[in-house]
Amino acid sequence: MSNGAACGDPFEALGDATRREILQLLSHGDKAVHEIAAELPISRPAVSRHLRLLKDAGMVAEHAQGTRRIYHLEDDGLRAVQAYLEDVWGQAALRFRLLAENTNPGRPR
Amino acid sequence: MTSPLRISFDVACSAEHAFEMWTSQIGSWWPSDHTVSGERDVLVVLEAGAGGRIFERTGDGVEHDWGVVTVWDPPTRLEYLWHLGRDSQAATDVEIRFVTQGPNDTRIEVEHRGWERLGETAGAWRDRNRIGWETLFPHFAAALMRGDS
Repeated sequence: MSNGAACGDPFEALGDATRREILQLLSHGDKAVHEIAAELPISRPAVSRHLRLLKDAGMVAEHAQGTRRIYHLEDDGLRAVQAYLEDVWGQAALRFRLLAENTNPGRPR
Repeated sequence: MTSPLRISFDVACSAEHAFEMWTSQIGSWWPSDHTVSGERDVLVVLEAGAGGRIFERTGDGVEHDWGVVTVWDPPTRLEYLWHLGRDSQAATDVEIRFVTQGPNDTRIEVEHRGWERLGETAGAWRDRNRIGWETLFPHFAAALMRGDS
């Protein structure tokens, strides 16, 4: 089952101590929002916002259990980071080379 | 425990020119969709010299710090701390070497490391017998792209 491609930035997702803590909590087992909130000094709405960001970045996913939403680590979570980095550096390298060569004062004619 | 991510590619210009473009013109080549704000009209600045700030400034004048220059050694070497998102505690290291191959030929070697500072996060996956940082990056170690022939 796919719930759409991850579109968030995994760097942004990981660049926050609370979100890293949430990932750590989920490594010990799947959890509902209120269970995560019980372990952190932040409100449930705040936990939900962090979870949404982690979900958008492809780090966590959710499934229904009765009326509850249960969150778990996405198997390919770290691959999302790798894919992101490859994309960033790939684009950066290509754009850098174009710029450097087009502005090169010693360019052969 | 954690392998650096390495890429290298060749550019048809001098190392001096490559260093100058990498630093003073970073806003012209860094992909603007890979910024904190993601805004199209964002300005990216890398200040010259060790201790120089790397930041983006949005059209509204809001600044987001990306990191700080740690080694400024033109035209051969540049290093900076690079934050992940906004959390400076989670900074990774980026090192760029500009290797002269000829008067008009420079190899750019980028090494992105310091993933161990996110170690507890990588461990989250490893604890479940899944993939860890250390298994990811060696696959990306090969040259990303090279100049023609």
